[in-house]
Formats: sequence, C-alpha cells, structure tokens
Amino acid sequence: MRDLDCLFTPRSIALIGASPDAGHLGGVVFSNLRAFRGRLYPVNPRHREIGGIVAFPSIRDLPEPVDLSVILRPAAEIPHLLAEHAGRARCAVIVSAGFAETGADALQREVEQLGRELGIRLMGPNCLGVFNPYRRLDTFFLPHDRFRRPRRGNVAVVSQSGALLVCLLEALARAGRGVSRGINYGNAVDIDAPDLFDYLADDPETGVVIAYLESVGDGRRFMAAAAALERRKPLIILKAGKGAGGARAAFSHTGRLAGNYEVFSSILGQFGIREAGTFEELLDATHALSRQRPAPGRRVCIVTNAGGLGVLAADECSRQGLVLSPLPADVQLRLRENLPPFYSVGNPLDLTGQVTDGEYLTALHEIQDSCDGIFVIAHTGVAGITPRLAALLADFRSLSGKPLVVLLGQGGTGAKLARLLERDGIPCYPSPERGVRGLRALLGTGGEP
Amino acid sequence: MTRTAAQLERFLSSREGQREGVPEPEVKGLLRELGLPVPAGIFIPAGDPVPSPFPLPFPLVAKVVSPAIASKSDVGGVRIGIGDRNELAAAVANLSAIAAADGVLVEEQARPGVEVIVGGIVDPQFGPVVMVGLGGLFVELFRDVAFALAPLERNAARRLVGRMKGAAVLGGYRGRAPVDGEALVSVIVTVSELIGSGIIGEIDLNPVILCPDGAMVVDAKMTVLGTSRCACI
Repeated sequence: MRDLDCLFTPRSIALIGASPDAGHLGGVVFSNLRAFRGRLYPVNPRHREIGGIVAFPSIRDLPEPVDLSVILRPAAEIPHLLAEHAGRARCAVIVSAGFAETGADALQREVEQLGRELGIRLMGPNCLGVFNPYRRLDTFFLPHDRFRRPRRGNVAVVSQSGALLVCLLEALARAGRGVSRGINYGNAVDIDAPDLFDYLADDPETGVVIAYLESVGDGRRFMAAAAALERRKPLIILKAGKGAGGARAAFSHTGRLAGNYEVFSSILGQFGIREAGTFEELLDATHALSRQRPAPGRRVCIVTNAGGLGVLAADECSRQGLVLSPLPADVQLRLRENLPPFYSVGNPLDLTGQVTDGEYLTALHEIQDSCDGIFVIAHTGVAGITPRLAALLADFRSLSGKPLVVLLGQGGTGAKLARLLERDGIPCYPSPERGVRGLRALLGTGGEP
Repeated sequence: MTRTAAQLERFLSSREGQREGVPEPEVKGLLRELGLPVPAGIFIPAGDPVPSPFPLPFPLVAKVVSPAIASKSDVGGVRIGIGDRNELAAAVANLSAIAAADGVLVEEQARPGVEVIVGGIVDPQFGPVVMVGLGGLFVELFRDVAFALAPLERNAARRLVGRMKGAAVLGGYRGRAPVDGEALVSVIVTVSELIGSGIIGEIDLNPVILCPDGAMVVDAKMTVLGTSRCACI
C-alpha cells in the first residue's frame, strides 16, 4: 500500500462524531459514507447504533485498526481524540474548523505535532477532505440534494479552498464531466499540495490534475512536485491573489518587481506548468486535456463553414500565441482541385454554407501535415452537416493523432453531434474563443519544456 | 562550491567583516573578477584631487558613491557625457558635495545599445531567484520581466531570456543588428550563482547595455545577507 492509499482508497473508515441526525454535519457525512465500498464504523459515545450500524464509544473500541478516520468534533476536543488514535488509524481527515484560520495557532501546532508523534498522516484541519467516486468515498459535509457530485472520470481536482472545490466539481458535473478525485486539504498541517501531486502522479485513475491555490508553503518543494507531476500528466494551476504583493520595500529594482504572484507565475513558466488565468479558462483547458493528450507545436489550422467564426478563432489564436500556418502551394492546389471553386482556400479554410460532411474529411486530410493542432468549426444550421460528421471526425482524429477541437452550432444537429464527438474524445466548445483556448491547452505546455 | 561562490567568499573576507551595502566600485570590482564586462573606472574619494592627466578617454560618466543613497539619480548624483577636463573637475566637485558622499566613481561612458536589467533576490517562498527584464522605461512601464529559481545553467538562462515578452527586441528588430545574446546569458548565469550562493541578499545590474558584440554592466548594486537594509535606503 502506498503512502496516501489509506486516505484515497481505504478499506475501512471510522467516522468520529457520526450522528443519526441528518441536520447535523456528523449525520450528513454518515449518510454520504453509507455508500462507501468498505467497512464503516460510526463512533459516538452517546449511541449504540446509528442508522442500523453498530456504533462505538471510541476509536479504541473498534474491532480493527482502520485505514482512515474522519473527525467531525469541535476543535478543542481534537488533541484528546487524536491521542486515542494511537495505533488505531493510519491517516485522518480533520474536518473541524477553529484552528490557525481563526488565530488558534497553538492548537494547530499541537495537532501537527501529535500526528507526527503518532505516525498518522493528517489532512486538514478545516477541510472538506476527499471525494473518490471509484470507491464511493465522500467525506464532504454537503448533502447530495444540495450538491450534485460529478460522475467518475480522469480529472483530479485539488483545492486549497473548500468552496472553490465545490464550485469546480459542480461545474464539471453540470457539463457532464467526470472526476477521479476531489480534494480540499485546508490548513495543511501535514498533507500539502506537493504530497497530493506525488500521489496523483502515480494514480492510474487520474489523467489530468487541476489545482486551485491561494498560497504555497515551501516554494521549491512545491515546484519540484509540480514539475515531476507535469512530466507524467498535465497539471493546470489557478492561482488566487494575483494583485497581492509586489509592494515589498526593497533596496533593488528587482526586489520591487518581484511581487509574490509575478515570481510564482514566472517560475511555473520555468518548469512548463500550465496556468489558467480565470475559472472559465481552467474549465476549458481541463475539458480539452481530459479528452486528449497534449502535443508539441504551435501551428493551427482552422477548418470552418462560417467565415466570421473562423476570423474570431484566428483572432484568439494570435492572442494565445498560436500560429496560423500558411498552407503550402501543393496543398492549396489539391484543395482547389477537390473542392468547389467558390470555397475559400487558405487558413482559415472556409468551406462555406454549402459544405457537406465528406468535404470536411477531404480538407482535413490535405491540411493535416501543415499544422500541429486543428480547430474544426461546423455551424450546424446548414443542411450539408449531419450526425455522420461525428464518426468522420473521430476516425480522422484517431488516425492523425493530432489535437483536434470542435465548435458546433447550439441548435438541433449540434447537440447530437456534440454528444457523439464528446463520447469519442473530441472536446466541443460553444464559442470560437473558448475553443481556441481549449486547443491552446493541448499544444505545448504553459511554458518551456 | 562554484567558482563564483569561492570568488565571492574571497571578496567578502577581503572586506574585513564590513557587512553593509557594498559600494558600487567594489561590486564592479567583484564582477570584473568574475569575468563580467564592466566599464573601466577610477574612484576618487571625497576631497582628493582629480588625477592629472586623467587616465581614461573622454567622454566619461561620474557617479556619486554613498552607502546612504539608494537611487543616485534621485539626488542628482549622476553626470553623463563629460567631454573634457574642466567638465570633469566640475562634476567631481559637485558630486563630492552631496550629503553623505564617500567619493565619486568616474567611468568610461558605455556605447548605446539595448538596455536590460539582470537581478537577484531571496524570495520568501522560493529562496534565491534570478530575474531578467527589458530595461529602461520598459521595466517600469510594462514590467516585462521573467524569473527563475537560481542558480541557472546556460541553457536554462537562454530559456529565461526567451520568456520575456519583448525578447524579440534582442534578436534584431526592424533592421537593427541582433545583440550579443550569449554575453547576456553569461551575465545571468553569474548573477544566478551570486544570488544562489546564499551570501547575497539582493543584486541589481541595471542597466546592462547589450550591443551586437558584447555587453556592459553600467550600474550595479548589491547587499550582503545579514546587512541591515535600512542602511542602504
């Protein structure tokens, strides 16, 4: 068993502060954990059983040591409770608030030291903990009727803020996308972002990691773990506090220019780690990277049936540092021979409202060697586009292997095509700018290799 | 220990335990020993006569030297384009009269070129960090700078330069000859080793003037760790 497996794939869980009352946090988490695929032990000295499951007065009374203990008791009780965990749990999620975030620094240090002495890995305090849909593990104190969980997928969401984690998971669920892990690690007395990056790098269920951060403790340790993760799978970071700092009184010009965010962001670039500027950019990049592997290069071809959308996409390409490569003369010649004469051969390649499914394929075959990534715009309000286009694009993509994203119209055929394309691993976007940002995430990395 | 760190240790021990902000002539002396291009210069302590004949060719630049002055230009402490002996005498007299002046550094005036800033700080989160930016007005106006964990190898220093948005300016822009990028890389590597030594608190080479054939470190500031920074501001 690896270091943090006890946290993410436990075989047994103790819930300290389990409650039969659905209005109580201990009742919400108990209810959520009932679906857990493993042994669940409610712990509460005032109940003999909770929801038909035998309850225990203390973690010391359980029939076995557990992999994971989830603690929902007031902050002042935590040191005493944790001391009882000696030899009884491998790791613990301390959900309770009331530690350093409210100024109770000494109490937090006591908890940190106890965890170290007892050899128990700690997550929190002041956190939601972990969500692993593959094991139906869910330590969040949020009822299902208030917060819809996303289904299984390959995106791990790491967040320093609980609220941001919930917002990101809700957005992914609403878009019908899945996650491998949802993690809010709170005050991080022990388990911190670098530990999570190390774990997720090896986690076979995770293909992409996204992280919302407010601060990083030891910057060098953070970057080392982030860079090691990025070498295995894409990592995208959304950093809060972009305006803060930069006001340090310094002897040097360099010191005055070295705001906290500027230094952080620039060093991400040094290690080629992607950074999203906004919540939406994070989601758009995540969407693309959860479907396709990134590839090197910056050259893009746009194949469209709507001139205006192609121009807007081209504009966004230049903002994103992507290059619209000119088509070689022989490619242009063959395109002119194989397509109706009124189509506009260039990049963007405008197939006009007269386009048919098959002509997209003709165009893609011709342009594929002239670019690193492809943006297909198929405005579905025209008669020549049918649901058959989905299979043509998916087959082309599996042969070419190049990053390919699609912009579709929002009406009738568009919705059906989007469903089919998404199923086959081709991300679809509702606007040219968002599509280009998705494609940007698939080309190169956030910086240098 | 890198060659740079060893040289730095020797330099500091030669200063006999003086740990305040390092005067510009001494910073430049250290940089020269480390192989970086600095202008030929002569330090004239306050009250000393100007050597005659003056051993450097005109035009010259004169700058006040004082550990109490953070920004020389803010106190009118710099004279450029000094064309002859009389102008030099006047400049040295005026600058020596500035409050707290230790003396005047007279240097050969650098050729014009593309100005960049190369610096290093010890960041509270990341430790020693090296920075390069497009200098002159651009550094203030557009903050076009890039940071990296120090120290850096030459290849990493090349990539750092490429991360400035305006890096194209260095490659020859609108018909200008490209500047000596490898000379800039040498400056960055040395500054990254200095700040990465853990001995330096802050270092600023601003500007470094880049020409098609070489670079020149025109101004240099440095503090040694453990220094009270207040003494320098």
